[in-house]
Amino acid sequence: MASLKDIRDRIKSVKSIQKVTSAMKMVAAAKVRKAQEKMEQARPYTYALEETINHILPDVSRGDLDLLNVREIRRKAYVIVSADRGLAGGFNSNIIKVAEKEIAEFGKENVDLFCIGKKARDHFKRRDYNIIESHIDFWSELNFDNAMMIGRSAIEHFTSGKVDEIHVIYNYFVNMAQQEIKSEVLLPLSYHDEGFEEKDRLYEPSKEVLVSSLVPRHLNIQIWKYLLESYASEQAARMMAMENATTNAGDMIKSLTLEFNKARQAAITTEMLEIVSGAEALKE
Amino acid sequence: MDSFVVEIVTPIRVVNQENVKYLRCPGIDGSFGVMKNHRNGVIALDVGEIKVETKDDVEWYATSGGFVEILDNKVELLLESVERSNEIDVKRASGALERASQRKKNTKEPIDNMRLEASLLRAVNRLRVSKK
Repeated sequence: MASLKDIRDRIKSVKSIQKVTSAMKMVAAAKVRKAQEKMEQARPYTYALEETINHILPDVSRGDLDLLNVREIRRKAYVIVSADRGLAGGFNSNIIKVAEKEIAEFGKENVDLFCIGKKARDHFKRRDYNIIESHIDFWSELNFDNAMMIGRSAIEHFTSGKVDEIHVIYNYFVNMAQQEIKSEVLLPLSYHDEGFEEKDRLYEPSKEVLVSSLVPRHLNIQIWKYLLESYASEQAARMMAMENATTNAGDMIKSLTLEFNKARQAAITTEMLEIVSGAEALKE
Repeated sequence: MDSFVVEIVTPIRVVNQENVKYLRCPGIDGSFGVMKNHRNGVIALDVGEIKVETKDDVEWYATSGGFVEILDNKVELLLESVERSNEIDVKRASGALERASQRKKNTKEPIDNMRLEASLLRAVNRLRVSKK
């Protein structure tokens, strides 16, 4: 059996780890709340913009705007939204797994990657994927400019004909305890063709000008949404992981304390036996 | 009643106005008014002031541009930013105006100039609306 000192040291180290994990949990909880707030603020605008676009697009032919152009798919690009940091359970590894599977289906050599977050970049760089761009180290000061930058380069990559389709893989925030990995087509823009009949509508300055300024805006907002969802998911995942780690540490401390007490009891018993048998021996 | 609903939506907030009788917006090709039963459509907006007349009140907003969608007597304003006249931080606006006009004197880059022109316009607009 381990010595008393060994057990005492283990208990001490587990306790200090527990302190770290519970602190990380608190931090993640605060951040998740902030991220959720941001998401809720952005939601009405996103929906309103989406609605407006869905109303106009049926009136526009796909040939009018490059961003709507459906081409034969020879090359694809994937935007993979991961995190900069680990210790968030399966957050990063799950999304990388999904991305790898999707890419493998199409063929690694026909796919360009936009990596968001260090974890995805490091993973795919090590495996020699074709990374066009990576955006890292911005999560702590997440703002709309990040989304615009990513949006601009994605649009550029599509309109210049380097790829014929752009996908986004990200973590969708279902609730605190659940994230869902989603894969969506970013470009060419998809929209519902059905349901809107009216043709007698006023467009100023003109339909084409409106669409060409609405659509990039819509894409930026879309990317902004992905970033926010992913950030909230990351923090929620980290919170859950740290919560589990804290409880596990608690269990460990319990069983170690039990072991410690047993060992202490055993030591006392042996000591007493020694004293008693010593005294017996002296009597004779 | 001859009133309609106006919804102002920006990335950071939503303002709802019910019982609106008249709405005036800064379109790219000039200001235009909206009353009940306006024709449906989508119109791009420029930097400028928005006037919202309800039954017994008039409100002014400053905006930096966006879109209006009119759909069956529901008017949705999709704006990059919006400030009600009494919420405008006059100090900040005049500071921005000061900085922009200073910089405009010292720069020769055409791109910078365009940006400066835009921020000048925005600052002037906000100051003007704040006096309403």
